[in-house]
Amino acid sequence: MPVAVLTILKLCLVGVIYLFLARVVRAVWVEIRTERVGVTGPTGSTESAAAPAVAPVGRRAARKAAKVEKANARPTLKIVEPPGQLGTTFRLDDEVTVGRAPGCAVSIDDTFASQIHARVFQRDNQWFVEDLGSTNGTWVNRKRVHGPMKFLPGDRLQVGNTVLELQQ
Amino acid sequence: MTATVPRRRTEAGLLVMAVGITVGAYLLVSLGRTATLPGNIRPFVLVIAGLLFSAHMATRMFAKNADAGLLPLAGVLNGIGYVMIVRLNPVLANRQAAWTAVGIVAYIGTLVVVRQANRLERLRYTFALVGLALLLLPLVPGVGLNINGSRIWAHFGPVSFQPGELAKLALAIFFASYLVERRELLAGTTGRVLGRLRLPEIRHVGPIAAAWVVSLVVMVAERDLGSSLLFFTLFVVMLWVATGRGLYIFVGSLMFVVGSFLAWRSFDHVQRRVRIWLHPWPEATGAAFQIVQSLYAFGSGGVAGTGLALGSPTRIPYAATDFIFAAIGEELGLAGTCAVLAAFLLMVGAGLRIARQAPRPFDQLLAAGLNTIVGIQTFIIVGGVTRLVPLTGVTLPFVSYGGSSLVINYVLIALLVRISHDSNPATIAARKEQ
Repeated sequence: MPVAVLTILKLCLVGVIYLFLARVVRAVWVEIRTERVGVTGPTGSTESAAAPAVAPVGRRAARKAAKVEKANARPTLKIVEPPGQLGTTFRLDDEVTVGRAPGCAVSIDDTFASQIHARVFQRDNQWFVEDLGSTNGTWVNRKRVHGPMKFLPGDRLQVGNTVLELQQ
Repeated sequence: MTATVPRRRTEAGLLVMAVGITVGAYLLVSLGRTATLPGNIRPFVLVIAGLLFSAHMATRMFAKNADAGLLPLAGVLNGIGYVMIVRLNPVLANRQAAWTAVGIVAYIGTLVVVRQANRLERLRYTFALVGLALLLLPLVPGVGLNINGSRIWAHFGPVSFQPGELAKLALAIFFASYLVERRELLAGTTGRVLGRLRLPEIRHVGPIAAAWVVSLVVMVAERDLGSSLLFFTLFVVMLWVATGRGLYIFVGSLMFVVGSFLAWRSFDHVQRRVRIWLHPWPEATGAAFQIVQSLYAFGSGGVAGTGLALGSPTRIPYAATDFIFAAIGEELGLAGTCAVLAAFLLMVGAGLRIARQAPRPFDQLLAAGLNTIVGIQTFIIVGGVTRLVPLTGVTLPFVSYGGSSLVINYVLIALLVRISHDSNPATIAARKEQ
C-alpha cells in the first residue's frame, strides 16, 4: 500500500478524533446555553448568576411538588431564604425532623443549622415546631422557639440561615 | 421521562464514533504493518461495539440523566490506548482486551451497586481502613513483590495487582466524607490570629500532616514516587475545595517542597530521577535511555506523526505502560497527542461541571476528588515523558496497559456518572415525586 494513502488515512483518523471531541464540546455547549436561558434573565443579579445550577432544581421540583401536594392535600415546607435554594419544597408527614443530617426528612444544606435541628409535628390537626437542642436556635416568625410552639400556614420557620414557609 | 433522554441519545452517537475511531485505528495498524486488512475484523468490531453498548445500556437503565460525555471519552481513550498496545506488544494487547471487558463489567457493577453516591458517605471509616491497608499491602512480606525497583504489587496465588490503584479511590471517598464533616472547623474561623492570617488550630491541621507522613512512607518504603505525589496532591486539593482557603494550597506546596528536598537528599533513586530530568544527554545510553528515546519519539513524530505501525516506538522501554504517550507522539504526532490531551481536558471539565452542579457537599467533594485523580495522574505521566517534570511511573488513565488501573478508572467514571445522574434536576424532581 502506498505511503501516501496511509498518510491520508492517518490524517482522516486524527480528523475523526477531533470531530468526536468537537461533538463532545458541542453537547456541553448546548446544555450550558439552555441552562443560562432557563435561569438568568437579561437582568440577572449576581446572586442568581452565582447559583445557576441550583435555582432551576428548586423551581422545577417545586412545580412538580405542587401538583403532588394538590393530589394529597399535605402541607409543605418551602424554602424562601437563601435565594440560592428558593422554592425547594418538602412534604410534611405527621412528624418530620429538620436539620443538616442527610437522614432528616427536611434536609437542608446550611452550615449554621445543627445536624438534627428541630421537629415539626402534628397533633389534633394542629402543627407544632419544637427545637431539638440546636446550637443556634429555632425561630418562628422571628420568635425563638422554647418547647412546642404552634405553627400555622404562612408562618416562617428559621433554622440557621434558612427560612422555610409552611404552606397548606 | 421514561422515553429516551437527549443526553443518552448524544452518548449513543458519540459511542458510535468511539467505535469507529478504534476500529479505524486498528485497521490502520494492520495496513501499516503488513499492508493487509486484519482477518479478525468482524469479531473485533462486534466485541468493541458490544462492550460499549452494554455500558451504554447500563447507563440508560441506572443513570439515565447522567452526563453524556464521560463514557464516550473513556471509550475513545481506551480504544486508542488498546490499538497502540496492539501495535507495540500483541501479547499485552490480548490481556488488555480482557481487562477492558472486566473494566466495563466493573463500570456496570458500580452503577448497579451504588444507587446513590452519598450512601458511600456512611462507610467512611471502612473506606479509610481499606484504603490505608491497600496502600500498605505491598509492604507485607510474602504478599508484596519488588518489580522494577518499586514495591507496589501484591500477589495472591496467580493473581497480582497494584492495590494502590484501588486505594486512591477508597481514600478519595474517605477524604470527601471526612472533609464534609469537618470543613467548618478546617476553614479555621476559630484559630489564633497571626498577623493578618488566621491560622486553624493544630488539631485541625493534624489530618494534612498525617496525609503527608503517609505519602512519605509510601515513597520511602515502596519507592513509588508517582502514587505518593498523587496521594498528597489529592488530599491538599480536596482540603482546599472543601474549605475554600488558599492557605492550604500554600501550606501543602510548602510541605511538598520540604518533602521533595528531604527525599532528594536521602535517596539515590530520587537523585537519579532528578539528574536524568535535568541532564539526560550525558547518560543517553545509560540511566536516561528511556527518557531520551521518548524525546526522540516525539521528535521523529513531528506534527502529523509517522503513521500507525510506521514508526519505531518499541525502542522505548515500557512503551506500552508508562511511555504510551510517547508512542502516540511518534506515530500520530502532535495532532494525536493534542487530541488525547483534549480528551482528558474534556473529561476533567465534565467532572468539574458535575462537581459544581451537585447539590450535596459530599457529592461535590467526591466528584472534585475523582477529577483530581484523573487530572493529576495525567499531568504527572505526560509531564514525565515530555521531560517537563521528573519522571515518575504512573499509568496514563485508560490509555496505558495495566489491568488494575483500567478497571479502577472505569469504576471512577461510573461514580462520576452516578453523581451526575443524582444531581440532575430531572432526577431530583423524579425522586421527590415518588
